Amino acid sequence: MTPIGFVALIIGVPALILLGYVLITGSTGLRRYILTRIVLTLPMVIILGSLVFLVMRVVPGDPVQSALGPKGTPEMVQRIREQLGLNDPMIVQYGKFLVQMFTLRFGNSLIGGHRPIIDEMSERFPATLELITPASILALVLGIFGGAMAASHRKGAVDYVWRIYAVVIYSLPIFWLGLMLQLLFGVKLSWLPISGRIDPIIGTTLVHRTNIYTIDAIISGNWAALYSVLEHLILPTFTLGLILSGIFVRLTRINVIETLAMDYISAARARGIRERVLVYGHALKNALIPVITLIGLQVAILLAGAVLTETVFSWPGMGSYLVERISARDYTAVQSVIVVFALLVAMISLAVDVIYSLVDPRVRY
Amino acid sequence: MKHNRWFQFFALLVMASMILTACATTATPTAAPTTAATEPPVVTEAPTQAQAPTAVPTEVPPTAVPAKNTIIIGTTDTIASLDPGDAYATRDWELIKNISAGLLRWKPGTVDLEPSLATDMGTISADGLTYTFTLKDGIKFGDGTPLDATMYAAQLNRLLTIGPSCPNDVADALAIPYVESITAPDAKTIVFKLKTTVSYFVQILATAPYTASDPKTFPADQCVLFPTAPIYGVGPWFVSQYTQKESIVLEPNPYYTGDLKPQADQIIIKDYADPQTMALAVQNGEIDVAWRFFSPEQLAPLKEVQGLTVGTVDGGSIRYLVVNHTFAPADDPNVYKALAAVIDRNEIADTVYGGNVTPLYSMVPPGFLGATEIFDTVYASPDIEAAKAFLAASGYTASNPLKIEMWYPPEHYGASTAAWMEVIKKQFEATGAVQVTLQAQEWSTYITNLTGGASYAVGVLGWFFDYPDSSNYLDPFVYNKGMGTNVSPSQEGTSYGVPINDKAKQLVDLLNQADTETDQAKRADIYKQAQEVYADLVVTLPLFMIAEHITYRSNISGSSAYASPETLNIGPNIEFYYSLISKTP
Repeated sequence: MTPIGFVALIIGVPALILLGYVLITGSTGLRRYILTRIVLTLPMVIILGSLVFLVMRVVPGDPVQSALGPKGTPEMVQRIREQLGLNDPMIVQYGKFLVQMFTLRFGNSLIGGHRPIIDEMSERFPATLELITPASILALVLGIFGGAMAASHRKGAVDYVWRIYAVVIYSLPIFWLGLMLQLLFGVKLSWLPISGRIDPIIGTTLVHRTNIYTIDAIISGNWAALYSVLEHLILPTFTLGLILSGIFVRLTRINVIETLAMDYISAARARGIRERVLVYGHALKNALIPVITLIGLQVAILLAGAVLTETVFSWPGMGSYLVERISARDYTAVQSVIVVFALLVAMISLAVDVIYSLVDPRVRY
Repeated sequence: MKHNRWFQFFALLVMASMILTACATTATPTAAPTTAATEPPVVTEAPTQAQAPTAVPTEVPPTAVPAKNTIIIGTTDTIASLDPGDAYATRDWELIKNISAGLLRWKPGTVDLEPSLATDMGTISADGLTYTFTLKDGIKFGDGTPLDATMYAAQLNRLLTIGPSCPNDVADALAIPYVESITAPDAKTIVFKLKTTVSYFVQILATAPYTASDPKTFPADQCVLFPTAPIYGVGPWFVSQYTQKESIVLEPNPYYTGDLKPQADQIIIKDYADPQTMALAVQNGEIDVAWRFFSPEQLAPLKEVQGLTVGTVDGGSIRYLVVNHTFAPADDPNVYKALAAVIDRNEIADTVYGGNVTPLYSMVPPGFLGATEIFDTVYASPDIEAAKAFLAASGYTASNPLKIEMWYPPEHYGASTAAWMEVIKKQFEATGAVQVTLQAQEWSTYITNLTGGASYAVGVLGWFFDYPDSSNYLDPFVYNKGMGTNVSPSQEGTSYGVPINDKAKQLVDLLNQADTETDQAKRADIYKQAQEVYADLVVTLPLFMIAEHITYRSNISGSSAYASPETLNIGPNIEFYYSLISKTP
């Protein structure tokens, strides 16, 4: 099985189980809603892919000339364009693109070795997944905990600290925060590595199965590699996760405050239930519902943040891949990445909606 | 009931996880196409010159890291192709020349040629069309396969057969124009028959496309730009692991019999997307050596770091302005001569680069055959009065200023480009008769327009030589090899295009003459004349030469047996032989 197949399995199997479970046990309205969303995803991806297809060709610049640089003679450029089908009529190129998109084969890159895009994604996507997963968890945990803490100490010093934290951290440029963390923990204190996914020497011992290094290390029992991978994950995870945590702090805080003002909380408080239990055991649970909605909305921001984080930490993921390929006018690569991102966002949004219905039984579709 | 549903749900999840884990543990390890754990070389004969192939990751990898003397080199330079029949970029050539070798090579740290796989410098027929070389004995690839002349010639013929259809097409630059045939009359002899006499052909033979490649990795009918590791050559190293955009691991070729024997057990080259991150990595010791590319502003703080050495290599990378001779107002000789007269290269070097670049007064850098400082001689720049006179001759004055656009890519040649273009604008406008509009354009669009002859008057480009010879600093710009210049636009059926005027014709003739002249003193004279005509025409306007910088930690050293140990034996040819560096544990 290819690494991308493995990753698809890791994400796809639980997603299908969840979907199956909800379709079997959910209400008719929910079933209809989910099926409608799935059906609507298709035209959304086609429209988005088509827009990217058009925009890439309207923007000036040529992938072949860009790759060859000043050493590319006009004859060379024309010959290679012909080989790559870039001289075909636009409608023919569009037809090929649609076929590639529907078959999820994506075609070949227009630059470098003209490798299949699916192979290139197979190398890059797992790296991004490995970065955004812990970053999201960190953002959520920190955001929810911080927001709840701020709400429980409303108008106190702790509240102000968290509010200032949320505003400051969310307004920091990712690359600046990354650089500062690198300087402090990498250069000054020498506690943590500042670049890459694994120590290069230990990396030579890691057998790649999924290209998600933590999983590869666990599967093969290579604990030195696992330690190194986790060590390398810390700074990029914190860079991306801290930035995203700001908005969760604010949202959680305001929702917990609103919930704490409700009658059932007052009643509970009157019964002598401890404040901590009230906040974390009762109010927080209900305040989390809007936060779950936000998770879906944050996916796109997370991917955008990953672009910068990957560049700062030399993390060879999809974000840096997209930047490289946009610069090189690699039409097929850019189209493919956008389609995959769109599918990912659509899938996660759907999953969030489904989870929403499970968490809050009042929600009816 | 509610709890039961949740229980069912989690039970399903647990089951799925168990299935996944089961699949994973029984799956055959499958590397990504370009990520491969090494298979040990197939030993057909016991290696005589080196230790046995090193331990490699197996299906169950070792959890302990093998104690090796490993040197980690960081770079932001990218790999475009590892196929010698296709590769045409500096980093590609560097890797290929560490993995393999050619008949000739530049002596490390110098631009002097010496035999490598050949027993001597070869023989050249009286008409200068046939070059014959004899191979040394006992040359073997990293997997033990012996190399003979028949195999070598067959692999080199890929340049003539599939080379032109490969993406980077080095063949059209360094083989097709020169080579008629490559044959092996016997197992030891290799013969090149040229189409015409080429005085610098031995230089071309020392380039990476003429190294011996492994037919198992690089078949006769296919370009393989990113082969799966292991990649064997006949050089001191072989590629044991290769993960695109991440790292490349080199281990000693156990069958290597040459003189560049590896000093380290392993070399790991780590890719960086951002030079700033690479600078921090060399500071905190994540990498031992940082090589290509740091900008001068990134180097300044590194020079202050204790335990780091910043070596400067006077390289062959130059920056120049391209003048569009067929587009107004740059088609006016008075305009381009005024520009040539007004530029103060020292101001650019000092104010923008803090003296870290060298002003350049000819396209041929100092030290190359026949190099002069012709732009200084002819224009004595900066000479504002002369520039005013040129402009006045075409009717440009303060009341009727010349309006000209100058184009540049803001990112491709570093962030400083905008700064020195501002300096040039200020210098040109100091004549009082010029209004310059600077136009920045992202690289893909820019290069397409510039080389396509679109509507630009003046643009910026950079150049790095293919082989260290004066011809490579003049011919490509005059013969319209896609450089955006157009003093001799290409036309079907002509080798060198059609010169736009008598001066251009004279220049083309001189360069043709130099290309076939084998007497080096005469060639030097011809190049001197050619540079005079070049400066008069201002085919391009040389600005400055950029040194390459290598940064390394105090426990890394170069070989004292070769030139330039202070720059880890990297000389003006910008070739980095990893074999020559060593690391003190």
